[in-house]
Parts: sequence; structure tokens; C-alpha cells
Amino acid sequence: MTEPFLSIRGIRKEFGSFTAVKDVTMNVAKGEFMTFLGPSGSGKSTTLYILAGFQDPTDGDILVNGKSLLSTPSHQRNIGMVFQRYTLFPHLSVGENVAFPLRIRRRPQAEIAERVKAALKLVRLDGFEDRKPALMSGGQQQRVALARALVYNPPVLLMDEPLSALDKKLREEIQFEIRRIHQETGVTILYVTHDQEEALRLSDRIAVFSQGEIDQIGTGQELYANPATHFVAGFIGDSNFIETEILSSEGGEARLALPGGTVVDGVPMHGGKPAGKKASLLLRPERLSLSQVPVDKGLSVTINDITFLGNNIEVATQTNSGDCLSVRLPFGHQAISQLTRGDRAWLSFDTRSTHAFA
Amino acid sequence: MALSATASTGSSGTKDSGFGYLVPALLLVAIFFILPVLMLLLRSVLEPEPGLQNYATLLGSTTYLKVFLNTFIVAGVVTVISIVVGYPVAWLLAIMPERWSRLVLAIIILSMWTNLLARTYAWMVLLQRTGLINKTLMGLGLIDAPLPLVNNLVGVTIGMTYIMLPFVILPLMGVIRSIDPAILRAAALCGATRLQCFLRVLLPLSLPGIASGALMVFVMSLGYFVTPALLGGTSNMMLAELVAQFVQSLVNWGMGGAAALVLLVVTLALYAVQLKYFNPNRAR
Amino acid sequence: MLLDFEKLGGLRAFLIGLTVLVCLFLVLPIIFIAALSFGSSQWLIFPPPSWTFKWYQELFADPRWLYSALTSLKIAAIVTVLSVVIGFLAALGLNRGTFVGREALRALFLTPMILPVVVLAVALYALFLKLGLAGTTLGFIIAHLLIALPFSIISIGNALEGFDKSVEDAAVLCGASPWEARVRVTVPAVSHGIFAAAVFSFLASWDEVVLAIFMASPTLQTLPVKIWATLRQDLTPVIAAASTLLIAFTIVLMVLASLLRKGQKS
Repeated sequence: MTEPFLSIRGIRKEFGSFTAVKDVTMNVAKGEFMTFLGPSGSGKSTTLYILAGFQDPTDGDILVNGKSLLSTPSHQRNIGMVFQRYTLFPHLSVGENVAFPLRIRRRPQAEIAERVKAALKLVRLDGFEDRKPALMSGGQQQRVALARALVYNPPVLLMDEPLSALDKKLREEIQFEIRRIHQETGVTILYVTHDQEEALRLSDRIAVFSQGEIDQIGTGQELYANPATHFVAGFIGDSNFIETEILSSEGGEARLALPGGTVVDGVPMHGGKPAGKKASLLLRPERLSLSQVPVDKGLSVTINDITFLGNNIEVATQTNSGDCLSVRLPFGHQAISQLTRGDRAWLSFDTRSTHAFA
Repeated sequence: MALSATASTGSSGTKDSGFGYLVPALLLVAIFFILPVLMLLLRSVLEPEPGLQNYATLLGSTTYLKVFLNTFIVAGVVTVISIVVGYPVAWLLAIMPERWSRLVLAIIILSMWTNLLARTYAWMVLLQRTGLINKTLMGLGLIDAPLPLVNNLVGVTIGMTYIMLPFVILPLMGVIRSIDPAILRAAALCGATRLQCFLRVLLPLSLPGIASGALMVFVMSLGYFVTPALLGGTSNMMLAELVAQFVQSLVNWGMGGAAALVLLVVTLALYAVQLKYFNPNRAR
Repeated sequence: MLLDFEKLGGLRAFLIGLTVLVCLFLVLPIIFIAALSFGSSQWLIFPPPSWTFKWYQELFADPRWLYSALTSLKIAAIVTVLSVVIGFLAALGLNRGTFVGREALRALFLTPMILPVVVLAVALYALFLKLGLAGTTLGFIIAHLLIALPFSIISIGNALEGFDKSVEDAAVLCGASPWEARVRVTVPAVSHGIFAAAVFSFLASWDEVVLAIFMASPTLQTLPVKIWATLRQDLTPVIAAASTLLIAFTIVLMVLASLLRKGQKS
């Protein structure tokens, strides 16, 4: 069994009485694009900063190729990093910014010139060597930062919410660039963001952070189809939750009583709680069906609103017990042509596509 | 330029160019600032006879040149020491936790606001032959006989540095605070050691603050009167005291005016340099 | 990492050590003077053989000291009032005026503050000799006003920048005359700037030495002039007593100013 390329083991960080990172453990393969996804304050940036060497962990270790990273000071870790606020050196030109790490490493001038040119070409800023950072747009500055971080071929690239300062269109453009650069260079990337769409677009795998811990690591598809916790279920993809009662649970599957009495079987269950306790049932809007005729094992609902959203239709419904559920139907769905606000309808779903959390 | 000179009391205020409000201040400054200085300039070229003899004497005689030299050297030394000592303090102040920085700032501001004469008097006493400094040095066995620390340029330098340090520390602290710490972290990750980070990133970025602080201290030191007069001796006078001596003791208005004008011109020239090269409003 | 306090390593000890030394350097002379003023040695020997109040007694017993202090107070008070009023008007004009050359005029008003005072002192002295104002209170006031005014213009100017004129215009719409609106609305809104202007103008005059030396006469001396004259003769500890009182006065003023600022914020 070979050693994983990057191994984060039991990292913990306390700031006085506040614990920012409780216990983070994961392995990252060489060349992988791993995203730390979570809301602010969940510990993802702190973990990244510990990797960079800007913070020392209270406990735990980080190994690269089997060797501990913690004993090395930041400037010797040979890691690249891109920050949220560009952080280019304002007193140096673009070319000098990118050349900086190479000058520190005392490379010969000819080599520096060549490698700077190549790095700028990689981020599609050919010929920008003499520009001053202050005169460039946010997107351009971030690309220079990327060039500077990659020019010395670090094995690991850290990215701390690099696109949150940019507007949506620019963000998508640079997301595309990042993906392309990842494929071209094969560098291992650890990326921090709170934007789940960004995470899904860019990553090989995603680690979902919540309150200093990792709730789940997996590909975007795994996290969407099989969320391990209530938090992951709500954070990735759209969701509805209703409170149900556990009638029985066995072998990872449960029998639940929905509000209103309907009983459903075979719901994948996370978290073992005995019968009689409450469980939260995840219903994805796009996995719900609406029909005018009563359906066995379905929910009776009233239509509150129907909104046309371009490529799909969103229907706001309400159960008899007051739960609001959002249904998403593809454009042209036959049920819609017959339903209007205030009508009664029946909501149904495949229990295998749902999850219960207790 | 069309001036609407009505002071405004009854008018609506919208058409009024607002110039009227400035009239009292303008009169004050014109009559009691611009006029006297121009008169002084005139006297320097008219007394005792029309011509530039006063300036020739001033810039030609070795005695007076020595005064200029003293002044520039002391101002230069004070500036260098203030910057070298003040920069690390400003640096620490910019990054230390607030409850400590507030204490240090309170000390610095208290020192700035304390009466100048009181502070200079303190040094006059401390630097005496029988003063505390000499006594401590002799007591520690570092010297055998008391050092002459006052009534000479050494005393003046010490006293002036004491006065000027806060004027360097406070603006520099502001400049360093405005530098994004993330830039220094990025530099470290690029592989730079602490020394390289300092020389290649922190120092260049704080240079505008250093330059403007140095210029301010240098210009202030050139024109300073009280501290050099009290801590210096009669044989190594500085420019401001020379002006005072011409006017008060020697009643030589021609020479006094000339010396004052030289001081004024040098000051204005240095300010012009600062405006041209270090003006923060200039687009770079 | 050079700007992260926790990550400085050994450098931190050096910076802290130097800062402590500088703080001691700045503070010890002040404490020294205060201690000296209570010491019994006339030759300012430190540590003094015994402690005494006699220098303070001598200070208060000598009518000339008291007189010079009162003169300082009187002149500073008058200068403060004039500086605030003229400065307020000038700041108003600079802030709202639409005429050409505002920046140049602003620079002109600030010049007395940045030029060597001795030049101004000598020039004014010459003028006052011709006008017969030398050694008069009026001359003193004019001279101090010239260097106090820039502080006033800056403080009130800054406060006016942060003030939205539309509030004043709204008052005019409600029926107030322009000056009434100014007094009732603008002045309270920039009161912190006016207060700062008053404090700085007062201190500028109270502490001023160079102009005072040239404006003074044997019968008209401010406190700094008296100290200066005494210092030229000998280093008697009475000066230490006077200095200590001045230092105490400064500290009280600073504490008051910061308390008032905190009070205004809440």
C-alpha cells in the first residue's frame, strides 16, 4: 500500500477557548483537485493556513510524501498559494512579481526570463511583463497571482477563495482557466470556497466542512446522491426537509411515518436512532413528482405558487400539516398545464432517492 | 477671476462663491504674514545699502558657513537616528495587540504634547557634567571623567532626537499599517527568508513613509530655535539662533533678514521636492 | 509573515526590547523633572538628599511667575476664540466655495504652521516695531493667532468634510435663514471639530516660545518667556517646579480630551 501523496492527520487548532478546527483527517492523491467546501467559520481556511505554515496546529500532523511538513518554516515548504485579495507586490511590475520566487532561488537571469514568459503564457497574459498590477483588472491580477504561485513548479497549490472578489461572469471565466491549468500542469490543488456550484464545477473530490470538522469527503456526485449528514444534504444541491417519525429501522434502511400518516419504507437512514424518535427526511425538488390523481404512498398538498424559471418550473406547495415543499419540474411537464394556484395535488417520490437523518 | 465678495448674511448661499468667508483669514495672513516676510526680504537687500552684500557676507564668510554646516549636519544626524530608531518602533506599533499599542501610543503622544521648554530643561539637567547620565556612566565604570554632553552639538543632537522621534514614529506606523499582511505572507511562501522579505518587500513598500517622515524631520530640525539655543554652546550656533542674534543682539536687520530668507528658501525648496516626488495624490 | 505579530520569531524580542527602551527614553526625562521639583538640592543633584516643597513655594510666592502664567492664559484664551471663529469661517469657505484656487489658498493658510517660526517671528517683530505693536498684547495675540489658525482650519475642515450639507439645506427649507441654519445645525454637527480646534489653538498659544520671545517686553511676558529668561541665567529647580506644573496641566488636558471624546462617541 503506497503512502498517499498528501496526508492530513488529526489536525486541531484552538484559539484560546475557541476551537476553529476540531479534527481534520484526509488523504489527497497526487494531482488531485480537492476542495474544502463550507460556510464561513467552518475551519476550512484555517486548515489551509496551517498547510501554508501561517498557523501552527494545536495538534496533528501533515505529511507530504511521508515526510512531516510542520517542522519546515513557510518559506521552505515550496508550496504555491493564491489568496482572496490578489496580494501582488504593488511596487513590482507583473514580470517582476512572477520572477520574485525565482530570484529568491537565485536562478540565472536567462532561466528566469524564460520561465516567467512560460508562466504568463499559461495564464494567458502573454506580454504583460511590464505592466503595473494597480492598473490591471481584478481578474487579470488574480491570474498574475496564479502565475507567480506556479512559476516555481510547487507540488501543491493552495487557493483560498480566490474568486469571491470577482463578479459572476468573470468568476466563471477564471474557473474555466483554473480547470484548464490543472489539467495542463497536473499540480495537486487544495481549493477553499463557500460556493457549492464552484466546488462542483472544479473539483475531483470535495470535503464538506462544518464547525471545524469534515462531515463528508467524496465526489460531487457522491455527496449529492448519498449525503452522510443533514448538513451535507442541505449544502449540496437543493433540498426540502420534513420531520418524520421513525417506525422502525434496520440494516441502514428505515420505515418512516410522514406527517399526515403516510408510511414509507426503504428510506436510506443515517444516524441510528430507535423507533419513536424523529428523523429529518430529505426530498430533492427535482426528484418529486406531481399529479392530479391521488397516489399511493404520496403526500396531499395544496399548490401555493407556480413560477416559470426558463428551463424549468418551480412549484411551491404546502402539505396539510403546514410543511412547505418546493418541486422542480422540467419545462413542458404535462401536470402543469392542468394545475393552477390553489388546486390540490399529490406529491410522490421514489424512496430510494431520499435520505433520512436522525 | 470673478469674485463675489459679499459675505453672505442675507443671500441664499447658492450663487455665492463662498469667497467672503475667507476674507478675515485672508486679511490676517496677507497683512501679518506675507507682508512682513516681503518686508524682511526687502530689508535684506536694502540695508545698510542696496545690493546683495548681506548674502555675500553670509555665504562667503567661514564663520557663517560653519553655522550652515552645523545646522545641516545636526539636522541630518537627527533625521538618520530618528528613522533608524523610529522604524522598528513604528513597525511593532503597527502589528502589536491593541491594548499594548494603546499604552505605547499614549506615552508617545504625552511626550509630544509636553511643553517643549520642560522637555529641553530635562535634558539640560541630565546632560550636565554633574548630571545623572555622567554620574551613571562613571558609576558603572565606563568612563573616568565626565563627558561634555551639553553646550555642544552632541547635546543638541540628543535633545532634538528626543523631540523628533514621535514625528517619525506616528506617520510611519500609519504607513506600515496600510500594508496588507497577506503580501508579506505571499512573499514568505514564494521562498523569501525574513531578511529577504524585509529588504525586497517591506522596506520598498514603506519607503514613501520613510521619505516623507525624514523630510519632515529634516526641515523641522533645520529651523528649530529653542532646543539648539538651550542645549548648544555659543561657539556652535545653528541657523535659527543666528537669525535671532542678528536681530536682537546685533540689531543688524540686513544680515538677519538675509539669514532668515536663506532658511525660508531652503525650507520651501525641500517642501517643493516633497510635493513633486512624494505626493501621495500623484497617480503613479 | 513580517506583519503577523505571532509569527515574528526572534525578531519580536528585538522589536519589543527596542520599543521598551524608546518608551523609557521618552518618559524618563519627564518623570525626572517631576522628581527634581521635589528635591532639596539647589544644584539639581539626583537623587536629592531630601525632599521638599520649597521650590513650589518659591514659585507661587514670586508674583512675576503668577503674572506670566495669567498673561499666558489671557492671551491663549483670546487667541482660541478668534482662531475658532476665523477658522470656522475660513473652513466653511474652503469646504463649500466654488472659486478658483481653493487648494492654493488652503496651502497658504497652512504655511505659518510648517515654516520655521523664527522667520515669522523676526518678520513680525520688524513690522510691529514700525507699527508700534512690539511688546503689546495685541501684537502677541496676532502672532499667536497666525500659528493657531492652521490647526483650527484643519480640525474644522475635517469635520466639515464628514458633514452632509443637505442637512443644513433642509433646515433652510424648514424656514431658517442661512446663518440660523448654520448655528443651529452645522455648528452642533461639527462640534467635535470645533472642540479640537479650540484645544489645539489654546495649546499652540499656551506652549509657544519663539514668537513669544520676540513679542515680549520686560513687562509683558508669557510663561514660556519667563522660563526661557530664567533658563538663560541658571538652572534653578524653580523651573523644574514650573515645568512639572505644565506637564501636569498637559496630562489633565489629554485625559479630559479623551474622556470627552469617549463621551461623545457613546
